[in-house]
Amino acid sequence: MLELHNIDMFFGGIAALHDIKFRVDDGSLTGIIGPNGAGKTTIFNIITGVYTPTAGSVIFNGYDITNMKAYQINRLGIARTFQNLRLFARSSVLENVMTAAQNRYVNSYREEIFSGNMTQKISPNLSSWYSFVESCLHLGRWSRIEKTLKFSSMQLLERVGLHDRANQAAGTLPYGMQRRLEIARALALEPKLLLLDEPAAGMNPEEVFELNDLITGIHKDFNLTVLVIEHHMDLIMKICPRIICLNFGAKIAEGTSEEIHNNPEVLEAYLGG
Amino acid sequence: MQFTISTLFQQIINGLSLGSVYALIAVGYSLVYSILLFSNFAHGGFLVVGGYACYYLLTQWGYGVVISMTGALLASGITAVLTEFSAYKPIRERTPITLYLLIASMGVNIIIENLFVVTVGGRVKALPQNTFPTGVFNLAGGVTMSASDIISLVTAVVFLGLLQLFLSKTRWGLAIRAAACDIRTAGLMGINVAFLISLVFFVAGILAAVGGIFLSVRYSLYPQLGSITTKAFIAAVIGGLGSLPGAVVGSLILGLAEMLTAGFISSQMRDLVVYSLLVIMLLIRPAGFFGKKINDKI
Amino acid sequence: MKRNIILILIGLALALWPLGGYQEGIIILMCINCVAAMGVSILTGFTGIFTLGHAAYMALGAYTAAILTVRYGISVFPSILAGGFMAILVAWLIGLPTLKLTGDYYAIASLGLCEAIRLILENWQSFTRGSRGFPGIEPYTTRGFAVTIFIFLAIITFNFLESRLGRELKASRDDGVAASLMGFDTHKSKMKALVISAFYCGISGALLGGYMGFIQPSMFDMMKSTELTAVVVFGGLGSLSGTILGSAAITLIMEYFRDISQYRMLIYGLLLVIIMVFRPEGLLGSREIWDLKMGVKK
Repeated sequence: MLELHNIDMFFGGIAALHDIKFRVDDGSLTGIIGPNGAGKTTIFNIITGVYTPTAGSVIFNGYDITNMKAYQINRLGIARTFQNLRLFARSSVLENVMTAAQNRYVNSYREEIFSGNMTQKISPNLSSWYSFVESCLHLGRWSRIEKTLKFSSMQLLERVGLHDRANQAAGTLPYGMQRRLEIARALALEPKLLLLDEPAAGMNPEEVFELNDLITGIHKDFNLTVLVIEHHMDLIMKICPRIICLNFGAKIAEGTSEEIHNNPEVLEAYLGG
Repeated sequence: MQFTISTLFQQIINGLSLGSVYALIAVGYSLVYSILLFSNFAHGGFLVVGGYACYYLLTQWGYGVVISMTGALLASGITAVLTEFSAYKPIRERTPITLYLLIASMGVNIIIENLFVVTVGGRVKALPQNTFPTGVFNLAGGVTMSASDIISLVTAVVFLGLLQLFLSKTRWGLAIRAAACDIRTAGLMGINVAFLISLVFFVAGILAAVGGIFLSVRYSLYPQLGSITTKAFIAAVIGGLGSLPGAVVGSLILGLAEMLTAGFISSQMRDLVVYSLLVIMLLIRPAGFFGKKINDKI
Repeated sequence: MKRNIILILIGLALALWPLGGYQEGIIILMCINCVAAMGVSILTGFTGIFTLGHAAYMALGAYTAAILTVRYGISVFPSILAGGFMAILVAWLIGLPTLKLTGDYYAIASLGLCEAIRLILENWQSFTRGSRGFPGIEPYTTRGFAVTIFIFLAIITFNFLESRLGRELKASRDDGVAASLMGFDTHKSKMKALVISAFYCGISGALLGGYMGFIQPSMFDMMKSTELTAVVVFGGLGSLSGTILGSAAITLIMEYFRDISQYRMLIYGLLLVIIMVFRPEGLLGSREIWDLKMGVKK
């Protein structure tokens, strides 16, 4: 599903990542761990097109996405959450999800992209959507499509337990709920690959426990491939069958949680460093 | 208009002199932009404060040129710091959205401009004739250079040189450069950010006042004089927003373009040329000559 | 639906209430200002892009409509539309390079644009009659016409903000990076907002010409641009009903205080700073007026 080949990333003269390579299999749930500053978020930024790597390539479903723009990569079916929450703070909770959900219409088109050739422009398929004129007058397909959109968005909110907060401004939610809203928003895009950037940050133990269930649940129910960043080992160890460990911008270990747990280099990075 | 080599040289000299005044204003504006990442539209107001302070110190209180100018610089610098304290700081503490700072700065500019309109009136004032030496030097081939041209060029070079020294040699200069890279990290490294920002505004205010005094010598003094800052803003954009060398280069280009247009086409066209230059620059190199790419922290 | 009916009732009241000529004029002016303010609101309030030059688009609309009707005898309605499209064209050209960049590039460019358009209108004597102004425009902006266009545009704007495009604009306002990672081409989103807002201002300018019967470049200066932005901030960034209320209120207040007009800009400036410091969300915040009694927290 996703392959990173020999990724190097320099900021100025400083190497943030060096020679990173790994594969993520279709349908897997993979964890990325490492101390602060190990380059975990940078990997997500490269996959999602926020940064272009200095060297190396990113292959998604057999296509090179290294130099694509962020919005194009997203349209191929990669969604993410953010370590330092990036909700649309002044829009309502429901609007946040709807904003993402309205972009899912590219899904039908996505299949064409993968079956055909990548050289064609990645642009949304508009035929099934209401036009600008319809949205100005609230006529035609507008009410039916908006209703469906609202309905499916509410379902997602229910899934993450935020349906009774739908009309509140997203920025006013408590921290843990904002994290869950980010997950709902990413799911609304109906991605194939979901990247979760420290989903447990700032949560209390009870919330982390619920989050465990949520992540394993959506992984199964939505038929997703999931990549999770955490620097708390416990969460990852519990839910991820496969784990990649980074330190100082390089991959130092990869394997099952058992293997990682007993790897001397990993222990050194966490305890000795 | 006829093309002659002497007109060419004459206009180049005039252009550099005008450009140096723009540079003083643009550098102050860029300095603030580089730290806080918002366009401080009140910069034009600071300039007007400087101009009027100098005028009243000279005419009403009869101080000498040196004291009047120093007073003007202080007045402007203090206005800038006061603006920061009363308007910008409370907004920054509440929200990271720079749009609010932008709007507030526009408000401050309107307040300053119109305070002068309602108190001293909108009429044009001129600094006294003897403020600066008025001699004219004849260079080769009929090219002349007025004393005020020389003074404005020299002053600009001195002030920009001092700024450069301050930024590169002193501890606070280093701190300012660090803050321009990343103000949050600078704060975490133990730099007193609140003081640093006030310092930056003070320096920007001083530079604006110097620019304001020269502008009022050149064009006379009126409450809307600050609108000339638009050109300094444009110069800063041409050079690359937030870059100090960019601001200087952009200003000199603008000054030259304006004076060459005035000399060879028509002086009515000079402003139009400035704006066309902005549009052309935005089309071919939108981030300017020295524009830095701003990476969002994710 | 309920909202549309209320808006239409307000429209009918505004259009049919028996009033004297003076009050009628105020209503026309209010409608014209509201149309322009709605345009700026879409850009600044809903997309988060600051502008200091939207009077330029009003000027383009006004002059295009005036020249088409007076010089070429084209009928009123297509001429007004042409005015709107003229504004779109220029906005598109300016937005293409500047909206790609993070930072205040569009704000500065809009400042330059406003001055440039004014200068062109002043200097292109043969076509625009320069700064003396362009007289003899047919008084096509009657009360009924102005109210109809205002209410129609208001309904449309409320509607499209409450659909796909509205959410797209708000997403790029609240967090551009997140928006692009949700599959939005944020440059395109911003372009859409700019082009639509320019269209509204173009229409508003064309209506102003038809009301005054005479237009002049100085009617569309920085002051006017500032006023438009100020009104939107006053009403609440991200609230269309706030914008409309704010614009209507300020038109009335300014009309009432005509005699102390020299204080008008001073009041604007103070208002802007005070709102930004104490209540940056403006009159209504990002709520619409009917959200108030429902107690929706935003």
